[in-house]
Amino acid sequence: MRAKAGGLPYLKFIFRRERLTTPIWLLSFLLFSTGITLAYTHLFATPEDMLLMAQTMTNPAMQALVGPVYGLDSLTPAMLMAQQLLSLMTITVVIMNIFLVIRHTRADEEQGRLEMLRALPIGRLTNPAATLFFAFLTNLALALIIALGLLATNIDGMQAAGAFLYAGSLGAVGFLFAAIALLMAQLFSTARGALTGSFVVMGIFYIMRAFGDMSSADSSTHLLSFISPLGLGLQVSSFYQNICWPLPVLFAQAIVIAVIALLVCRTRDLGEGVIPARTGRQHASAFLQTPLGFTWRLVRGNFIAWSIGMLVIGATYGSVIGEIEQFVQTNEMFQILLGISGDGAEQAIAGEVAASFVALIMVVMAMIAVVPVILIISRLRGEEKQGRLEPIFARSIKRQHLVLLYTIIATLGSAWFILCAALGLYGASIPSGLLDAGETIRSALMYAPAILTLLGLAVFLIGLLPKLTGLVWLVLGYSFMTVYLGPLMSLPDWTAKLSPFGLIPQLPVQEFSAAPLFALSALALVLIFFGIKSFARRDIGRI
Amino acid sequence: MAIIEVKALTKDFGKVKALNGINFTLDQGEVLAYLGPNGSGKTTTIRVLLGILRATSGSAKIFGQDAWTNAVELHQKIAFVPGDVNLWPNLTGGEVIDLFTSFQGGHRPSLERRNHFIKLFDLDPTKKCRTYSKGNRQKVALVAALASNAELFILDEPTSGLDPLVVKTFEDCILKLKSEGKSILLSSHILSEVEKLADSVVIIREGQVVKSGTMKQIHKEAHGRTLEELFLSEYQTKRGRHEG
Ligand SMILES: Nc1ncnc2c1ncn2[C@@H]1O[C@H](COP(=O)(O)OP(=O)(O)OP(=O)(O)O)[C@@H](O)[C@H]1O
Ligand SMILES: [Mg+2]
Repeated sequence: MRAKAGGLPYLKFIFRRERLTTPIWLLSFLLFSTGITLAYTHLFATPEDMLLMAQTMTNPAMQALVGPVYGLDSLTPAMLMAQQLLSLMTITVVIMNIFLVIRHTRADEEQGRLEMLRALPIGRLTNPAATLFFAFLTNLALALIIALGLLATNIDGMQAAGAFLYAGSLGAVGFLFAAIALLMAQLFSTARGALTGSFVVMGIFYIMRAFGDMSSADSSTHLLSFISPLGLGLQVSSFYQNICWPLPVLFAQAIVIAVIALLVCRTRDLGEGVIPARTGRQHASAFLQTPLGFTWRLVRGNFIAWSIGMLVIGATYGSVIGEIEQFVQTNEMFQILLGISGDGAEQAIAGEVAASFVALIMVVMAMIAVVPVILIISRLRGEEKQGRLEPIFARSIKRQHLVLLYTIIATLGSAWFILCAALGLYGASIPSGLLDAGETIRSALMYAPAILTLLGLAVFLIGLLPKLTGLVWLVLGYSFMTVYLGPLMSLPDWTAKLSPFGLIPQLPVQEFSAAPLFALSALALVLIFFGIKSFARRDIGRI
Repeated sequence: MAIIEVKALTKDFGKVKALNGINFTLDQGEVLAYLGPNGSGKTTTIRVLLGILRATSGSAKIFGQDAWTNAVELHQKIAFVPGDVNLWPNLTGGEVIDLFTSFQGGHRPSLERRNHFIKLFDLDPTKKCRTYSKGNRQKVALVAALASNAELFILDEPTSGLDPLVVKTFEDCILKLKSEGKSILLSSHILSEVEKLADSVVIIREGQVVKSGTMKQIHKEAHGRTLEELFLSEYQTKRGRHEG
């Protein structure tokens, strides 16, 4: 086929460019997956321990967070592992696929690199088709190594069918999102637009799954779990019923979307998207002409989009809280478990479950709220790498001044984004009457110093070790692992205390204490101070 | 034989008419200078010729075949150099050159040829592209194009950012290609370069051809003015009309 001419050398070229990135991703997945799975043998010594954990997971709040619970009649560690980890693993695999596809398609096109390739005997569809094929191979390799890794752990309840379904679900959902990202790369004319579009789709599917999984199996909202690919992938029920049909369905969906993407690509001009780029104003407004206005303009889109996103995330979890009440009323097991009975017991239990849910969800949302803050401060580094800071510093803008502006906007964001999430959470919980507005907001703002600490680290790195700016994402990843997964896996407490998020008292449940807040804020200020100082002194450049 | 034949070519971007009925031909063994002020439509024409943009109407033919429908076959005999070369930051210059030649399929040039041009342009092929200066990135694209066994060279401001020594080397290469019977479409803003290399000239403005002819005819028309003065007067009319 001429449209795909030069496919083989192109595929080789992608392999060459990916010889580091993709293997690192795959290896991390393998290590993470097998490492954690091994831990499951020690985590739950007795069947009762496992049942207790599974019981707490049957509450709608937890199902909204991690997905459906199954197999309470014959629990094994492998089953529990699959239930607790598949949803999280899926999201990370999806993120890998989105970055992979956009990097090779729209990003190359936007930078004008594709133009030179297209002047060679390469078909119009070679780039998207080869990229998609590479994504297919990557997901296939991922599924194979994850399955073999799981089998190698040989923990209780491990079996080939379950392992391959678990890993196959990861690969299938991953490939579907590769196709979705490919479609987004056709619709938007910038890599940034295509990335945003893909992540918004991911967010919508995640929320659909959360709503579907928290509602009872016979309600019509439960269907959402099957419509959303992120939910469908969890329906494989690995190590229990081992249901196969979601995999071919996901694969078929991926093929349909990929074909649509290729059809769009075949008819459009290089460099164009389907959604046209907007034209802007002829003159800079007075505000834009100030350094603050200019900086704000660069990060404004990010700021607004993430504010809305955090509101929606908060509201999603907030609407879970209403479900908790209903769940507690109908689940006697739960009441016995908590040792409460008698009049008014249900309301009390519901309040308690809601409080512990808020405590858990708040720290998760706080860690999500770090992302926009880091993105805002990283923009400074991005501008530097693109060589766009030089013309600015060539005018009479002091370097300290510019970093400070970015830092101020990001600092405001440290409190603002988590506040948005808290408002969404509270707003959606109003019908249940289980949350108190002041308390919810207070427990959210407690995390501002932790977010600020990561911001401080980012500023510090950008100033002192600009090439290592990415380290801050590692710290966030570590925090997430220890603070969120730690309790599920009974990791020792100190592992969480190494992360700023583990130091913050989880409010409605734990006692308030001001010391960690002051300590973290002070640390953040010191980091910011040194970051800004070194930024003013170091070389500015593309490298 | 006409290597490139463009007839009544138009290209719209939404409401913007980038090209509005362009006509010209490039004959075998000829260097055609394609000139015009910024935003006049040179790059757009070249992209249509490369089958990267689809013409709104009119025809663009290379070697007698349609530039859009037969893009892949045609590109086996075409080499292209853009004016703003952007490369993959984590590949070396040598890797990029090999990459480009590997895509040429059966028409792959020899290793000596590649190394000859790398030496000629004094390029360090072991450096990562992210560390190249602007001129060195340009050299990577030039070497990849010149080392290929193409019949037609499409060059869009190929010397932007090059030092005078390299420009001289480039000009020698073009003259040599011409003597070998290769055809060259050269879009450029550097008039001295045009004067040295071109056999004929097409000047466009706002998507339309305003002047075309062989170098001889152009000289005759100049009536004693230098070529530069002639071109400037062609370019300037537009500005006069805008302001007036
Ligand atoms: N993708 C596009 N969308 C909208 N308008 C475009 C697009 N590409 C080019 N144009 C417009 O088409 C016209 C011609 O642009 P083109 O790049 O061909 O000019 P050029 O002659 O190469 O200029 P220069 O000498 O600056 O390189 C310009 O007005 C430009 O704004
Ligand atoms: Mg141009």
